[in-house]
Amino acid sequence: MTLLQRLSRPWIWAWLAAALAFAATLGLTSGRGAGELAYAALSFGAFAAIVGMGQMLVITLGPGNVDLSIPATMTLAATLALKVMSTDPGTALLGLGVALAVGLGTGLANFALIFLLRLPPIIATLAASLIYQSLAIWSNRGLRIKPPPGLADFATGRFLGLPNVAWVGLALALIVWVVLERSVWGRWLLAAGQNLRAARLAGMPVEAVRAAAYVTVAVFAALAGYLLASFSGGAALNMGQEYLLMSIAVVVIGGTSIAGGNSNVPGVWGAALFMFLVVSMLNSYGAGAGVRNVLTGTIIIAIVIAASTRRPGA
Amino acid sequence: MKRLFLGAATLALMTGAAQAGSHLQDTSDKRIALSNNYAGNSWRQAMLATWEETAEQAVADGVVAAADAYTTSENQATEQAAQIQNMILQGYDAIVLNAASPTALNGAVKEACDAGVTVVSFDGIVTEPCAWRIAVDFAAMGKEEVDYLATRLPEGGNLLEIRGLAGVFVDDEISKGIHEGVAEHDQFEIVGSVHGDWAQDVAQKAVAGILPSLPEIAGVVTQGGDGYGAAQAFDAAGRPTPLIVLGNRQDELQWWAEQRDANGYETLSLSIAPGVASLAFWVAQQVLAGEEVPKDLTVPFLKITQDTLDEALASTPEGSVANVSYALEDAQEVIAAAK
Repeated sequence: MTLLQRLSRPWIWAWLAAALAFAATLGLTSGRGAGELAYAALSFGAFAAIVGMGQMLVITLGPGNVDLSIPATMTLAATLALKVMSTDPGTALLGLGVALAVGLGTGLANFALIFLLRLPPIIATLAASLIYQSLAIWSNRGLRIKPPPGLADFATGRFLGLPNVAWVGLALALIVWVVLERSVWGRWLLAAGQNLRAARLAGMPVEAVRAAAYVTVAVFAALAGYLLASFSGGAALNMGQEYLLMSIAVVVIGGTSIAGGNSNVPGVWGAALFMFLVVSMLNSYGAGAGVRNVLTGTIIIAIVIAASTRRPGA
Repeated sequence: MKRLFLGAATLALMTGAAQAGSHLQDTSDKRIALSNNYAGNSWRQAMLATWEETAEQAVADGVVAAADAYTTSENQATEQAAQIQNMILQGYDAIVLNAASPTALNGAVKEACDAGVTVVSFDGIVTEPCAWRIAVDFAAMGKEEVDYLATRLPEGGNLLEIRGLAGVFVDDEISKGIHEGVAEHDQFEIVGSVHGDWAQDVAQKAVAGILPSLPEIAGVVTQGGDGYGAAQAFDAAGRPTPLIVLGNRQDELQWWAEQRDANGYETLSLSIAPGVASLAFWVAQQVLAGEEVPKDLTVPFLKITQDTLDEALASTPEGSVANVSYALEDAQEVIAAAK
């Protein structure tokens, strides 16, 4: 494989950018704290990667497909799961079940709005997210319940030197990658995203594929919410807020085509690490909020351009 | 029967006392509305709960006819302006306002004033001159944090500053106060600054990202809602816990109490009490009653020290934020102080 062919892989740019941000931060400390920084990036990158992979599946469905209810689903799933567990030891699996059930429910509700009422996904998921958020407020009035100690230890713990949440994120990435690259369902998803009409005429169950994508993103969001709440000591009503734009950003930076029909799993992980590292880098260099936002935006645009102009056949 | 009579007599006495000074008018037929821009965090939820309590009691006591709370869903100034216009049409006598923007609502507020509606803004205040403002001296709050650190760490040291939401008035004010404090106590140096958006998980993430590049940290100055996240990030990085100034959240106070019992940890916690909504209610009631109230009022912040920690922890519901409910007398005191 030549160098040019390597650079033509769209996901390489997100990883390059992440590595550069990592190196630039360590340049400031002359190498001290490398392990600490990598560990933090893997911990926090995992949450962005999990919601990002869900969003990637939906965006792959083609133009106009996006899930804007991710933050509300995270908040609702985490709030209800922590309420059910009410800090009692041994209830971690029960809480996980509740969170996943919430994800399943919101995913099906989103798809029902899109499919039955024929609402554009942007409107449907945004409107539905107001309902989910209100349910979260109504169910617990914003009171922060601590996770059971065992679950909190798991969420903040490590295994073989890597954070447990990163293991969860990596396992999901592997599953999504295999499904996309090696299963019929994955091929259907890509085909539906490339040309919905052609896919339908070819006899593919496109509505089932779309339903599965919308349910998967909601279940991933619910899982991320459950893990994040366990990681940070409780669910808060505004806990999912930053994952709305984050989930879309990691998909686009990771080299997935915003026009649909083209997924990229490794790119999502690279982009998730990058999004954490670039903010850490700019904070470490003492950039103010304004400079930080401008630079983050500029860097994202640069990566997207770099990743998209070298795509083979483009 | 006798009890009922006694109760009625007491109530009459109390109403009489409330209207002492005789120049005050009866407000029992007046209706007050709360226009609130956001409900999505524990502070706002506690604020709404306090408003509800105060309002229910006031309506039951016949002080006002109604005191309804309305919250906009999207935290947008345009949406809230429309909400205020609806309140004018609904014929409310006063609007108590926690505003989405200090300036963008001025048009709607002016319309309300012109329609004879009293507007009292608090927390998120508006600059329109016809409205009353109940503000917190946020800069003083920031400075007090550094003053406290100076008493605890006379040697000084490196500080990490956790700011709130970028671009918001409150964030700029608190940070300004902190920097004033550091200029005064020059044994301190701010070696890092991150935005925690007043949320534990965001603060935890931001602190975890900057910590590897920081030297030893002696103290952390915060804005509220971010202290526990900072503590967790220090813990996860295996660093000694610095002196973290807290912001009255129950999980912060709980953590403080645990640290105190384990190793004698001492700190200070300060923030605005969500109960400031009840103060705004009573100020609006006083304006309606004809009391002469200066347009700019200041409300003290709620401070929790080592001595009052247990008391505050006992009175704060789990997962909520430390609160005080203000009564009519408190409002009268604040008004008198501003005169």
